[in-house]
Amino acid sequence: MAPSRHPHSSDGHPAASPETAETFDTLYRGHVDLIYRYASRLCGETEAAKDLVQETFLNAYRGFKNFRGDAQISTWLYTIASRACLRMRRRRKGAPERELSLDEFIPTSDGEFRLQIPVEGLSPEDALQNKQLREALDTAIGKLPKQYKMVLVLRDMEGLSAKEVGAIMGLNERAVKSRLHRARLFVRRELSARGLAEGTATHQQKAIT
Amino acid sequence: MAKRAVTKRRKRPEVTPHRHEAGRCLHILRELSAFIDDELSDGICGEIRKHLGACPRCEEFVASLRQTVSLCRRSPAPALSPGDRARMREKILEAARAR
Repeated sequence: MAPSRHPHSSDGHPAASPETAETFDTLYRGHVDLIYRYASRLCGETEAAKDLVQETFLNAYRGFKNFRGDAQISTWLYTIASRACLRMRRRRKGAPERELSLDEFIPTSDGEFRLQIPVEGLSPEDALQNKQLREALDTAIGKLPKQYKMVLVLRDMEGLSAKEVGAIMGLNERAVKSRLHRARLFVRRELSARGLAEGTATHQQKAIT
Repeated sequence: MAKRAVTKRRKRPEVTPHRHEAGRCLHILRELSAFIDDELSDGICGEIRKHLGACPRCEEFVASLRQTVSLCRRSPAPALSPGDRARMREKILEAARAR
């Protein structure tokens, strides 16, 4: 990672003291796996996830003296990571941000009511043994507009409460729940016949480029 | 609405399209995440359950939404190797010192 290529949130901090470095190591050791998991789920691929982890901890390192302990450290790191992700995505020209409307999730044909991936009678763990199913799920989540993806990942995958997600994203609980609902409906539709049919086309296109 | 949908399905179960855009079903679609997260009052939950009992398509829809959420909750995430962990730490400290 070339430092100059990465934006930073707060310029002009003095060089860190050895004391800061020690604090940093404790912070890093205790939370790098958590933030890498979050980053992987947001970015969907390893290198981008690693970039996001580095950016997150770099910003945490530089901003540590501003952390007042009024939030859990994990919540603080999730917040830094989320902001860094929004900046990185913008730079990388990822999927355009758009609002999801409930109307677009109303099923219109028979195949859209149930999932078209093998889950019937299986526990989620057993169903997820199927590589194609995992890929379909990852692709569906990857296609979410990023604000929706963050809410879904934080709430349904990282297991945070709506209140915590709100604090991280600067939203009220009602907005979190509304976005979560639309995000779930989006992923559900992607795993229905309609979503999978459209997804195959996108996937093939992606593979060519 | 629910009653009418059932009558329709009995006549032509596979062919008749389910009019989800019509009143009741759309109203319920809005509440489904709150429903599966147990955030609704007993009264509203009861109403939804009653509708689901009478509306097989909505019931399928709820089941598929529940399955989607369960898959998300149990979806595995890749782990970081010790080597990657150490390399990233070096890069972060290097970048911090360089600025």
